[in-house]
Amino acid sequence: MRQRPSPTVKSRPSAEAQQQLFAYALVLPVVLLLVGLVGYPLFYAVYVSFTNMVVGGGGDWIGLANYRYLAGSPVFTSAIWNTVVLVVVSDVFKLAIGLGLALLVNERIPARGLFRSLLMLPWAMPAFVAFLTWRVLYQPIGGGINLVLTSTGLYPGIVDWLGQRSTAMPAVIVASVWRGFPFWFVSILAGLQSIPAELYDAARVDGANAWQRFRAVTWPGIRRIVIITTLLSSIWTANSFESVWLLTQGGPSDATMVFPVLAYFGMQTQRIGEAAAVSVAMLPALLILVFMTTSLMQGDGNEQD
Amino acid sequence: MRIYSELLGRPLIARLAIVAVMALVLALVLFPVYWMVITSLKLPREIFRVPSLWPQVFTGANYRILIEDKDFLIAIRNSFVVASSVTLISLVVASLAAYSLVRFRYRFKGLIGRLILFAYLTPTSLLFIPLSILIARLQLGNTLYGLIFVYLTFSLPVSTWMLQAYFAAVPRELEEQGMIDGLSRLGALFRIVLPLSAPGLAAVAIFTFTGAWNELLLALVLITSESRRTAPLALNYLITSDVLPWGPLMAGAVLSSIPLVILYFMAQRFIVHGLTAGSVKG
Repeated sequence: MRQRPSPTVKSRPSAEAQQQLFAYALVLPVVLLLVGLVGYPLFYAVYVSFTNMVVGGGGDWIGLANYRYLAGSPVFTSAIWNTVVLVVVSDVFKLAIGLGLALLVNERIPARGLFRSLLMLPWAMPAFVAFLTWRVLYQPIGGGINLVLTSTGLYPGIVDWLGQRSTAMPAVIVASVWRGFPFWFVSILAGLQSIPAELYDAARVDGANAWQRFRAVTWPGIRRIVIITTLLSSIWTANSFESVWLLTQGGPSDATMVFPVLAYFGMQTQRIGEAAAVSVAMLPALLILVFMTTSLMQGDGNEQD
Repeated sequence: MRIYSELLGRPLIARLAIVAVMALVLALVLFPVYWMVITSLKLPREIFRVPSLWPQVFTGANYRILIEDKDFLIAIRNSFVVASSVTLISLVVASLAAYSLVRFRYRFKGLIGRLILFAYLTPTSLLFIPLSILIARLQLGNTLYGLIFVYLTFSLPVSTWMLQAYFAAVPRELEEQGMIDGLSRLGALFRIVLPLSAPGLAAVAIFTFTGAWNELLLALVLITSESRRTAPLALNYLITSDVLPWGPLMAGAVLSSIPLVILYFMAQRFIVHGLTAGSVKG
């Protein structure tokens, strides 16, 4: 950074102005890149969804035709339903498992450090590896789940977990919970560890039982974190492409079709306008989640005051 | 012995219950990882004909097929090039922005901070269609440059967001002292703030690297030649072929996990903190 000498009388106010300029210069690259790579594409996607654009060509404005087409297509309806089911059911399980394990690890238990590290393994390995591994686990031939179920006598038959409509979505949810629970676990654990021990002592002195202590001390201490984690996890799960793509590609017969996979299929069939409409259709719901999350996270004191 | 002493002071039943729950949880968490590793070491005929929990014969054949026939090491190299470039660019650009947002007061600062968080939460599934058009227009389609460029969409916001929290924790007085001693503003950033935020930089670097290493959707849309495939892309094309090669697929899964799992366990302390730095501030 070249320091410009300022010989004029204005030099005193311009020291302040220079610092402002410097501050803007530092933040400018990120702002420009994000406007170009996130802001512009977002608006462009909305525009494209109102056209009949195809790959390698321009498109004409066709108004709401893409949306009307989607509204009448059964696969779109099942994508909405499946996305909601995937998000809600896996959030509930991730919360229950994450909270339970965080409470356990927050106690005095044997080999706590090692246990905690091993619990993080599903989150530490790449997502595509996790879902490819579950794809193999679910196989009727060569899969580990059928082997364990038959050899322990828990269930005698061989099941094609990903290949039949009734089990495909539960199978996707189980894999998604396995991969995602560590984030909940570690977030909630951090929250638990920030609760002062004196609060528990005070509650005990007052004769509160375990459930009352949870209600009066633990829950208020972790509620914010649980809400933020729920919002983040919902956004990520609703938009997770590789979970469904690598496990089932949306099949069998659309039983696990979700928004991101449907949009990708639209793109593969060269109808970009329609594909864009699929992803833009989930924008309203997403915006609500994002605005809730940003206001909660910004209220966190991340900015200095 | 220390292990058992932790359990003293509880009724025997409670102690047994805790250990039983821990064992069950570990079994459920570790079994998929175990299955991935042993499948990668089994002969194909064993995978398909005699399912068992322990391979009858250990073989390196799957790894050889993957590396020699499927050129998987090229995919790993591409992943390394992309992920390290994204990490390096993000760290530099995001450090400057985060420093500006934490240390200066100016108009639009709040708005910029909000936009960065908004960009962090904007999912790739919403952006991949317009980004693929944009990249085609820039003549960057089917190149690793194009991939690096679009990966900044998720790496920059998360890096800036996380670094703000770390920079804010560096006492302002240390910087002021440095500047009295003759450092410029940038000097204070590079000589004082960045070294003191080293754990944060490590966490952000690993986070960014992981994000780029894992990305599949944009790679699927942007990369068409086999020689430019990244690791997830190469494995994706392995399952869409006619024969389902579970052995080589799991060998690829093991090879793709190793760098990340090593990084993770080396820097676990930073990452656990980093994961929660944005969302959880105690």
